[in-house]
Amino acid sequence: MIAITAPARPERVLRGLAVRQVRRAALVVTTVCAGMSALVVVGYQSEALDPAALAALARNPAIRTLFGEPVALDQAGGFTVWRTGTVLAVLLGVWAMLAATRITRGEEDAGRWSLLLSGGTTLAVAVRQHLGVLAVVPVLAGAATAAAMIASEADITGSVLHGIGLAAVGIFFVALGGVSAQMFSSRSAANGAAAAALVGGLLARMVGDGMPALAWLRWLSPFGLMALTRPFDTNRGLPVAVLACAALLLLALAGGLAAWRDVGAGILVTADSRPARTALLGSVPAFAVRRTLRPLAAWSAGIGAYFLLPGLIARSMTEFLTDNPQFAAMAAQAGFPALGTVEGYAATLFALLAVPVGVFVAVRLAAVAADENARRLTLLLAAPVTRLRLLAAEVAVAGCAALVLITVAGLAMWAGTATVHAGLGMGDAIAGAWNVVPIVVLCLGAAVLALGWRPRTVAAVGALPAVGGFMWQVIADSVDAPSWVRALSPFAHLAAVPATAPDWPAASVMAGIAAAGAVAGTIGYRRRDLSA
Amino acid sequence: MGVSALRTENLSKRYGRLLALDNLSLDVAAGEVFGFLGPNGAGKSTTIRLLLGLARPTAGRARIFDTDAADVATTHRKLAYVPADVALWPRMTGAEVLDLLARVGPGTDTAYRDELIQRFALDVSKPAGTYSTGNRQKVALIAAFATRAPLLVLDEPTSGLDPLMELQFRQAVGVARDNGQTVFLSSHQLAEVEAVCDRVGILRAGELVEVASVAQLRRLHHTEVAATFTGTPPDLTGVLGVDGLHNDGVATVRFTLNGSPTAALRALADADVATIVVREQSLEEIFLAYYGQNAR
Repeated sequence: MIAITAPARPERVLRGLAVRQVRRAALVVTTVCAGMSALVVVGYQSEALDPAALAALARNPAIRTLFGEPVALDQAGGFTVWRTGTVLAVLLGVWAMLAATRITRGEEDAGRWSLLLSGGTTLAVAVRQHLGVLAVVPVLAGAATAAAMIASEADITGSVLHGIGLAAVGIFFVALGGVSAQMFSSRSAANGAAAAALVGGLLARMVGDGMPALAWLRWLSPFGLMALTRPFDTNRGLPVAVLACAALLLLALAGGLAAWRDVGAGILVTADSRPARTALLGSVPAFAVRRTLRPLAAWSAGIGAYFLLPGLIARSMTEFLTDNPQFAAMAAQAGFPALGTVEGYAATLFALLAVPVGVFVAVRLAAVAADENARRLTLLLAAPVTRLRLLAAEVAVAGCAALVLITVAGLAMWAGTATVHAGLGMGDAIAGAWNVVPIVVLCLGAAVLALGWRPRTVAAVGALPAVGGFMWQVIADSVDAPSWVRALSPFAHLAAVPATAPDWPAASVMAGIAAAGAVAGTIGYRRRDLSA
Repeated sequence: MGVSALRTENLSKRYGRLLALDNLSLDVAAGEVFGFLGPNGAGKSTTIRLLLGLARPTAGRARIFDTDAADVATTHRKLAYVPADVALWPRMTGAEVLDLLARVGPGTDTAYRDELIQRFALDVSKPAGTYSTGNRQKVALIAAFATRAPLLVLDEPTSGLDPLMELQFRQAVGVARDNGQTVFLSSHQLAEVEAVCDRVGILRAGELVEVASVAQLRRLHHTEVAATFTGTPPDLTGVLGVDGLHNDGVATVRFTLNGSPTAALRALADADVATIVVREQSLEEIFLAYYGQNAR
């Protein structure tokens, strides 16, 4: 007797496949969103706020630009939204976008969908089912956040609205990643375009919050729309409804575009043939530079724009805090001490620079792991090129590119402050930016360690010192954790350069830890079997 | 015996509980075209990864021109490699990939490379992302043959090529042989191996079961004989070397012959033979005989 497995419904199979690819990361993202919100609600210490000072705070364009419009700070929930809302929305958005391109375009790029699509399913169905499954994750993250906040005794309506806002932002970026994956024929190009849209959305929120004349810009940004709901204050439903509609339209668009194109192709057609560009092909380091230039240009543009804006508002910000010492103290509780001088302000903002630059180096080394895994490195490794030389070239190029990014951020901040005559010297700006080098080096060391022993985890492990360390510090500051808990984050060991001198001993310790990681990783990389 | 182009001594590789390669000892002389046969999963690619230093042996040694395979800075100056599954950076054109490989590789004859591009009819101005499997394979083949490296390690290099390109491949192997280059060819295309290889090694379940020249392999194996007779066929039962005897109808006898045919021919000569067909087995039949029952 011949037994034939009854064909399951293809949609079900596709959903199962998508779930398998995102479930672990989905759990992490949901836990971080809910956990961080609950911790901040619990750790909130209410202090009597002077209504006049509160009004001044809400009016100040610099405060609004950087942290969003401060509303309902007199409640634990309101404070939590102000403190964590943007961070969590960016985290969820970035993850959602990257996951969307990974499980659709990434799988298609790797050729795994060819087999899948030879069965009883179409490209459009596959894309819709994958994005549909992924869109559930932000809903879970939002629901868990709202539930955690309510359980921590925050107001129910505000918590629910905040959760819905987070979910809507997440779904929006799932859809954006999905559309981008249809437009471009490679995962990296799709990621680049979607990331540009995300940074654009963030900048639109900042400018819209900071300048009343451009307040309408917030209606064009998912982060702006989320802020416009004003949870725990006026609790408006319209902005989040607009955001949810936009997200659903984009989702539908992604499915529609998928039906329109060929498997393996993008809506935007790339040039079919072109003359060879042979610059930077002469050696392994040169080739590493060649592959880094394009991402470096994109990251420089994003980071440059992001740090120009705080420069432009530096004066307004510092003057406000000098006039309102109550808020200087409050900012200190929120992890932003010494904002009253332009140097202190710059130092505080430059510390944030470690996050994107740390992610940058992690992503660059993850690209090496991906090249190895996809067997693109095989032909290079069959040439007289030792693993050590290849790794050294990649690490050196990623490190130098990170220094370029850091310098760009310093120059952008300086240019902004110089425009408003805020009195920050160019040397001080550069020194402040370079102060994050130890954390970036830690990321690089962690990424090399992962590449040597667990190549699939390079991006996550490499980004951990920067992203994990930053979140750790935010939580520790918000709940007023004991100093040894704070000290676990590398951010706790950054001096406020240029306001103070660099903490050389701490920098040396971090460099030493990074070097140990890099050495251990190199040993593993030389010893293990390459998947080539 | 001259210099070994590649040599393995008791080479073993274990992946967890799977013994992918068991105690392989192999010696390929410089200038030889060596065919490396075996079904999927027999350990061919594992052997090649060990020879290239991409994977580390669990036990034993692999040497390229008497240098340990782990010393890739030295060994890779003397070899060029074509992987079974060629992956290229999708945004780089074929010309750019060839340029990169020539500049980091062991030295390239650019005039011969241009000739190979023509012969393999590869459009090098297209981005690699638009290439088919066969075209990606052509890029790696052109890069490897153009190096004139003393050892070419080719892992199923023609699996994606059409018959015309397959012919070009055989010619390129011929040119390499004339230049005194050693070719280590892992392949499933038995006709190709038969056409170009001097010697063949057969791998089964991680173990080397046979190393011989193609002619020897055939001699080692039986020859099929079919004879028809005008009168009564002779009784060949018990004749030395005769095996698998059976009668087709009244006047036809089929059998296989192992070793010397003298006894069988003598027996046949006594009868009135009308026709006789003697056929050597193809490499494919030998290969299938090896794996027919106990395949992996």
